[in-house]
Amino acid sequence: MTIVLDVQNIHKRFGSLEVLHGISLQAEAGDVISLIGSSGSGKSTFLRCINLLEMPDQGEIQLAGETIKLKTNHKGLRTAVDPKQVQHLRSRVGMVFQQFNLWSHLSILENVMEAPVRVQGIDKTEAREIALDYLNKVGIAHKADTYPAFLSGGQQQRVAIARALAMRPDAILFDEPTSALDPELVGEVLSVMRKLAEEGMTMLVVTHEMAFARDVSNKVIFLHQGLIEEQGHPAEVFSQPRSERLKQFLSNTSIK
Amino acid sequence: MLEMLPHWLSDWLGPDGMANLAYITNGKHLSWYASVRYTLIAAAFGAILAVFFGLLGAAAKLSKFAPLRWLGDIYTTMVRGIPDVLFLLFFPLAFEQGVEYMMAQWYCKPDELAAATTWPLCANVQWYLSTTEYMILACVSLGLVYGAFAANVIYGALTAVPKGQLEAAHAFGFPSREVFWRFQVRQMWVYALPGLSNVWLLLLKATSLLSLLQITDIVSWADRLGAPNYSPVAGLVHGDWRWKYYLVLFIFYILLTWLSEKFFAYLQARAGRGMARAN
Repeated sequence: MTIVLDVQNIHKRFGSLEVLHGISLQAEAGDVISLIGSSGSGKSTFLRCINLLEMPDQGEIQLAGETIKLKTNHKGLRTAVDPKQVQHLRSRVGMVFQQFNLWSHLSILENVMEAPVRVQGIDKTEAREIALDYLNKVGIAHKADTYPAFLSGGQQQRVAIARALAMRPDAILFDEPTSALDPELVGEVLSVMRKLAEEGMTMLVVTHEMAFARDVSNKVIFLHQGLIEEQGHPAEVFSQPRSERLKQFLSNTSIK
Repeated sequence: MLEMLPHWLSDWLGPDGMANLAYITNGKHLSWYASVRYTLIAAAFGAILAVFFGLLGAAAKLSKFAPLRWLGDIYTTMVRGIPDVLFLLFFPLAFEQGVEYMMAQWYCKPDELAAATTWPLCANVQWYLSTTEYMILACVSLGLVYGAFAANVIYGALTAVPKGQLEAAHAFGFPSREVFWRFQVRQMWVYALPGLSNVWLLLLKATSLLSLLQITDIVSWADRLGAPNYSPVAGLVHGDWRWKYYLVLFIFYILLTWLSEKFFAYLQARAGRGMARAN
């Protein structure tokens, strides 16, 4: 299998607080990796380091064999050597946020078309077709002309997934995609994600949905205090947790 | 001209009415009405420049580069603190003399420069400003003064744009400059418009100061026309009527304000498209 994403030894510090102590991860094409752990374990920060929304203080990121060049500037801050390379990386790695973050001044259709047209330079009529295609896929094409504020949270999150898909990314990062949703809306988003997984999309999912992690992903990574405490196939991780902390974490969550 | 009115109208107005009509359509009054253009031009271009300077000022205040931030802060604090009357007196004069000073370094002979005791430094750099130039200076002055207010309004509005949406734009590969213009500036209007409508009304009122710049605007015409009027032939035509003329200006400005409110309500509705919460 080809390695899509190779992230090595990520360290991240906020002021004097080090939240990531060196985390590595490899994702092959079609992998669905769930990142679990309690709040403050650093799982969201790690995910945001992958597309450099947070700049890691140390570490290396490789997307489809291309290493993102980072340097330390004169103030001691890490920055990209070439901002264009970062933009390119970001355009190839989709992201779905906890708070959806749809652009509220654009209609649903425009939200999905915006980046393919402006960033990837795809022709408008073609982008429109692609967008409608993906909106159809997430079951929301009938709302194409409405604005995000008029949709429920679950619908907005499905649009956000379509928005990520329309970039035809190599991988999609999900940052707690169902945590801001009312319980009865979680299911519709998870079923869309399940469908993507079945179609072979490479996905990294930070989640509190243990059932999803167990049933859909092929790899689970348990983070604790900025380190990988345990990882493996969900069947092992959930049925035979080795570390005390993972046992404790699992006993506190509602998965049975 | 008035003979061209239809009979029924002149009959209905009667001789007194016709005399009044003749009075308010005489040449001076027509000039007065025409001078409205200065007010409107100054307001329109002043406002455009104010938004322009406001955007620049706000962008400077948000800059990652500290000297630009200081510049933005100095602009908004200083210019907002200076009374607009003073600024309108100061800026055009300073600009004119500054230009004359620079021209003098170029065109005056050294011995003329050395001997110069008055302004201008030598005769051939004297810059005579016409109404057009004064109008340009007035527009720029209004733009600078109210741009400082607009900068603060826009700065606040820019920071009110939800951070997550900007982050999403970054995450989809938009370069920082496009994130700023396409998302932050585009969304800022809905937060900025109420504040900008205030700034616009202040600017509109400040157009009554154009006479400070030797522009014969509606206020100076009202002054002239309303002053007690003696004619060598007819004696006293009318006494001190300035209050009547000022009253007309009151009504004019109130009408403009009313129109502005309508216009801003329309803009607000447009900018707020999709921003309304369904729940």
